[in-house]
Amino acid sequence: MHSTRRAEIPVLAYSAANALGTDAGRILEALRAGRSGLVPCPLEIPFQTACGLLPDALDPLPPRLHPFDSRLCRIALLALEGVRPSVEAAVRRHGRERVALLVGTSTGGIRETEAAHGAWAASGRLPAGYDFDRQHAFHGVLEVLRAVTGASGPAWVVSTACSSSGKVFAAGRRLLLAGLADAVLVGGVDTLCQTTLRGFGCLQALSRTPCRPFHAQRDGTSIGEGGAFALLAREGEGPVRLLGAGESCDAYHMSHPHPEGLGARLAMEEALTQAGLPAAEVDHVNAHGTGTPANDLPEARAISAVLGDAVPVASTKGYTGHLLGAAGATEAVLAALSIVHGFLPRSLGAEPVDPGVTIAICRAAAERRVRTVISNSFAFGGSNVSLLLGAA
Amino acid sequence: MIELYAGGVGLWAPGFADVAAFAAGLPGPAAAPRAEILPAALRRRASPLAQMVATAAAQAAAQAGIDLAAVPLVLGSALGEIGLAVTMLGELRQGEGLPSPTRFHNSVHNGPAAYVSLATGNRGFSTAVAAGSETPAAALLEVAALLLERGGEAILALADEPPPAPFAPARPFPPLAVAIHLSARPGPRTRAVLRGPRRAAGRSPDLPAPFADHPCAGGLALARAIEAGRGGEVRLGPAGERGWVVDLAGGGGP
Repeated sequence: MHSTRRAEIPVLAYSAANALGTDAGRILEALRAGRSGLVPCPLEIPFQTACGLLPDALDPLPPRLHPFDSRLCRIALLALEGVRPSVEAAVRRHGRERVALLVGTSTGGIRETEAAHGAWAASGRLPAGYDFDRQHAFHGVLEVLRAVTGASGPAWVVSTACSSSGKVFAAGRRLLLAGLADAVLVGGVDTLCQTTLRGFGCLQALSRTPCRPFHAQRDGTSIGEGGAFALLAREGEGPVRLLGAGESCDAYHMSHPHPEGLGARLAMEEALTQAGLPAAEVDHVNAHGTGTPANDLPEARAISAVLGDAVPVASTKGYTGHLLGAAGATEAVLAALSIVHGFLPRSLGAEPVDPGVTIAICRAAAERRVRTVISNSFAFGGSNVSLLLGAA
Repeated sequence: MIELYAGGVGLWAPGFADVAAFAAGLPGPAAAPRAEILPAALRRRASPLAQMVATAAAQAAAQAGIDLAAVPLVLGSALGEIGLAVTMLGELRQGEGLPSPTRFHNSVHNGPAAYVSLATGNRGFSTAVAAGSETPAAALLEVAALLLERGGEAILALADEPPPAPFAPARPFPPLAVAIHLSARPGPRTRAVLRGPRRAAGRSPDLPAPFADHPCAGGLALARAIEAGRGGEVRLGPAGERGWVVDLAGGGGP
């Protein structure tokens, strides 16, 4: 077994882009101001809902990568911008082959495939320029990130729905501990698309208005798009450290969490065990907190069981929407911002809190020292991940 | 150098009910995957890909003499539930414009791994990865890093089905699921010792058409070599500079 100290992974840099802003500074400003990024969904769908959007027009990929062009890859490059210099420095320092790339996504390039399928249904032909292998398939984003950063170590996508980009932190941690890489670019990216909006719509999991996690009358989540990245390394000093990353399954239902949050408990407990940290030393939880009637109560029970009722808990879905495959990485970045800037965000939309929730929901933003944060992400198929981040 | 110990293999492909049948090169009549570990109610809802994965994973676990409920599962799939995804694209233009709820929740990339977890009550580790033609190597690296960290055993499952029209590939491949039991330590049922994977430029995995074009061809080549007790280098794919290989030593119980 590795010692506690050795298992702490420095996070050298992080960045994100979502409805709150296209860099960490703007995102922090919106969180501090308690300003939601959610707006009425402009996509053509047969119901009303709110969502978190990036600007319609995003910079296209560089000309040499044009065959891979997709909204997913455009968002990935936008979100990458803040960590790109650090990744390039890692490539120079360790060599291309020693820098790995792990990306979480649930949508891949299905937004382009939806349009291509529509054109095919109307005309019998796929649009000129549509490339299933480069635009739809998950590995397209890996090719783009490899080309842009120069990193050519092991590279894969983790796709476990809404836990995808939390799990890349866990996989990256293992690659570093195993000595299979010296640095790992981890992150997540998802686009708004018809398939997920209508899919969550058919499960009656979407609110008509901006989602209200932990609220007594919460009535569904809001979907968002965006991306986030972090650079993990074997050595070095960064703003925060990854102390643990617990992963589990519910083994209960494909799209409903275990009512007592058993899988969620296991994930949080594993993260604490890896870190060698007592539960009482967790300063804050960024909850999965989707705002669906089904999710929030089991998660609150799990948090209560593992960490007690005193730790301040916030869901940031009311700001960004649920970023699905990008949620884990995005919320890891928000957790890092809490640690680095010493603040707790208000859990937007939570009041009045569900009377069944016994944990301490953040009813107001607070400026205070935050040394450790647990960030939860749970997914279809009962896939759970809990990241434990700590101050450097 | 990473060393892993393979204790069992499993496979489902049209006409091949297990790795032994494939290694013998004698296709039988195409029969549906049996997916016996899925209780009837789950089996009815499970996608074809999930049934294939459940079938292959159960064979590998049985051969290794381990309980699927108690070991991590790493699923590698380049395209995941592409059949369900394309069916949903059609549904979005019909009726109310909504997909079937079951199809939607089944369409996640980790769906087949989730069905195995649901069927066995496994609350431990599971994941689902994709890396195009590097999928077999990526999934094997995920297993290797996991076993280096925590020891024990895991099931590596690799599975893909061909994308349906209008996205069918120029070089068609059949549906295929292959599974390999891997352990951090040798045991009484160890059938082969794996070293790697490591990068090595070269040709595609050595397999008959149409399996050579399958995204998980490297996994099939590895399972076949384990079954045959053959040592030497096994190509995991892809062809060219970004290829991966595993070095295999046959047999080798303690």
